[in-house]
Amino acid sequence: MTAALKRLGGSLIVLAVVLALNFFLFRVMPGDPLTSIVDPRFSPEAKAQLASQWGLDKPLSEQFVVYIREMLSFRFGLSMMTGAPVWDELKKRVPNTVALLLPALVLSASLGLWLGVKAALNRGSAIERVVLLTGAVSFSFPSFFVQILLLMCFAYFWRLFPLSGTTSIPPPSGGMAVLDYIWHLALPLCSLVIMGFGGFALYIRNMMVKALGEDYVLMARARGLPFRRVVWNHAFRSILPPVLTILLLSLPGVVSGAVVTETVFSMNGVGRFLLEATNSHDYPAAGAAFFSLALLTVGCNLLADAVYILVDPRVRREGSRE
Amino acid sequence: MRFAMRHWISAAAFVLLAAIAALGPGPLGLKEGIVAPPYSKPNWLDRSTAPSVELHVSSSGDAEETIFWDYSPPLRVSFTGVLDEDGLIRWTRPGGGFILSRTPGEVDLDARDIPFKRALDISPFENMPSVIFPERGEYALSLDGSGDVRMRIEGGRWGILGTDHRGRDIAALFVQGLRVSLIVGVAATLIATLLGMSFGLLSGYAGGFTDAFIMRAADVLLSIPTLPILMVLAGIWGKGLWNLVMILSIFSWMGTARTVRAMTLSLRGASWVEGLRAIGAGRNYILCRHLVPETLPLLLANVALGVPGAILAEAGLSFLGLSDPRLPSWGRMLHDAHTFGAFTSGAWWSILPAGAGISMICLIFLDIGRKLEEMADPRLAAETRHKVIEEAEA
Repeated sequence: MTAALKRLGGSLIVLAVVLALNFFLFRVMPGDPLTSIVDPRFSPEAKAQLASQWGLDKPLSEQFVVYIREMLSFRFGLSMMTGAPVWDELKKRVPNTVALLLPALVLSASLGLWLGVKAALNRGSAIERVVLLTGAVSFSFPSFFVQILLLMCFAYFWRLFPLSGTTSIPPPSGGMAVLDYIWHLALPLCSLVIMGFGGFALYIRNMMVKALGEDYVLMARARGLPFRRVVWNHAFRSILPPVLTILLLSLPGVVSGAVVTETVFSMNGVGRFLLEATNSHDYPAAGAAFFSLALLTVGCNLLADAVYILVDPRVRREGSRE
Repeated sequence: MRFAMRHWISAAAFVLLAAIAALGPGPLGLKEGIVAPPYSKPNWLDRSTAPSVELHVSSSGDAEETIFWDYSPPLRVSFTGVLDEDGLIRWTRPGGGFILSRTPGEVDLDARDIPFKRALDISPFENMPSVIFPERGEYALSLDGSGDVRMRIEGGRWGILGTDHRGRDIAALFVQGLRVSLIVGVAATLIATLLGMSFGLLSGYAGGFTDAFIMRAADVLLSIPTLPILMVLAGIWGKGLWNLVMILSIFSWMGTARTVRAMTLSLRGASWVEGLRAIGAGRNYILCRHLVPETLPLLLANVALGVPGAILAEAGLSFLGLSDPRLPSWGRMLHDAHTFGAFTSGAWWSILPAGAGISMICLIFLDIGRKLEEMADPRLAAETRHKVIEEAEA
């Protein structure tokens, strides 16, 4: 399985770069955490004590080793603002972000897929025009603008959905808690799907149009195979690997989108945590949040890679030959 | 090469927007700074709300200004200017007038000031704007003697686009935001394209370890969520305009580098390049005189297609509050609207212009970019023509 190993190696390199970036961005760049956080009137002894508490008095190389060990064992240290362990806060927030992003990705990919294939089959129809339009919209409308509009319409003018938050305050108990969570999730999720499916649909339509024009499709039709089977088992099967590649390439954007979405809807996710930590120069917290977002991306990447190997027989065969 | 109507419209809109951005708000008759009460409605939206107007009387200009008032009393009334020894300002109401001030020197009166109310024999608890504007009818501000006084009447509406949470004219902010978007979008994309071209040429022509390193770096950058890095960088480096440009361009050269590398690889093996090498042309000569010009048309299209991404990224960062707060940009306008309760005031006019502006400018650049791409790579154009024929046959 060299192909699988190669892809795993790629993900590891990404992770290593993320770790290194995370370390050097916060430590080497101007703006020493001690001078920006600590009151300048503190006595030198107090400053030294704080520096040793955060391990900032050791040489950079030693700090780096400690940092790598801590990151890989998910001990992100104490927040500079609250003094509480960062991991405790993150633990509460990661599920919220996953609950937002995963359904959004699955829904927009499947909606895009269905519409894209439909559009390719019905050239010049209303569906194709819708796909072309939403494709252009998803490349040129800022997601937060669409989200603000949705909030304005469905949460302010018609009070169907809550204006902000992940749960009601105080949260209801029992089965109502789940409903309450979904009720709060609905609008952000819808906005991500609206902004997401257009791009997929456009790509799939373009590739499908090309695939349907190929000779093997004509051949399959000539053999008298049912149209539906030709579309899904021949044409669509052949564009599946590039579709997965597109999905893979869109992952970082989706994760970046979480920061914006969570900010607009004031949700308790990792993205907003990162924004708050960056704004308050809370370096351990910001680093940990960035690391978990990157980890999320790499994890999804690996998942998509696994599916890719399943889907593309060339990759599989190449592996088994060796 | 045929141009569709749409491309002409895009090009015209681009020229128009660039001209507006170059002029700035001043020459267009828009005032920067605070002009009216917060979240004033646009003028055309609600004709029954009191407008925001300024009456100006001076001994060198008009000594009297009249206004026909057909609304409920305004929110605020204030007077600024200078009165000379013999000066006196008078307010004429339908039922009879009164003298507003005859104190020489600087005039700085606000209808909310209690001493001002006292001087006019009005109870401190009374709402002075409703004393100044008690009913509908003809009013006049007049100046006897010499002086220069402005009367500011602040109602609930202003200009063509209303005002934001601080009472700044949204139309003026829109023009300033357009300028920021264009500068950031174009500058960041230009720098990113230059970086991408250099890396792509280097990678494609040098090959070997350099190639592997650059392409691996591009792969890694393409699979990291960049917005968090941009946020952190903006937090660390500062939030100025050019900092944003630098930050954005560092993280958007990868696509161009890949394209240019692919082109260079295919060109490097071409027989005419081999011929050049055979007659003794050096590497730099081939790169600069032949390969760069060869990739330029496609790069131009790449610039146009890359601008929307940069504009959206800038807007996103500003929306998250990571831009210079003194620099009005479209993202900043949406940030302010979101942070300072445009919803709870129902002030949709402070949200729509900025968002529509971003979308519009991105659509324009996408359209122009597609056309340039077609012109640079006629195979794409042939493909679309093919589609047109297919559709005509169907």
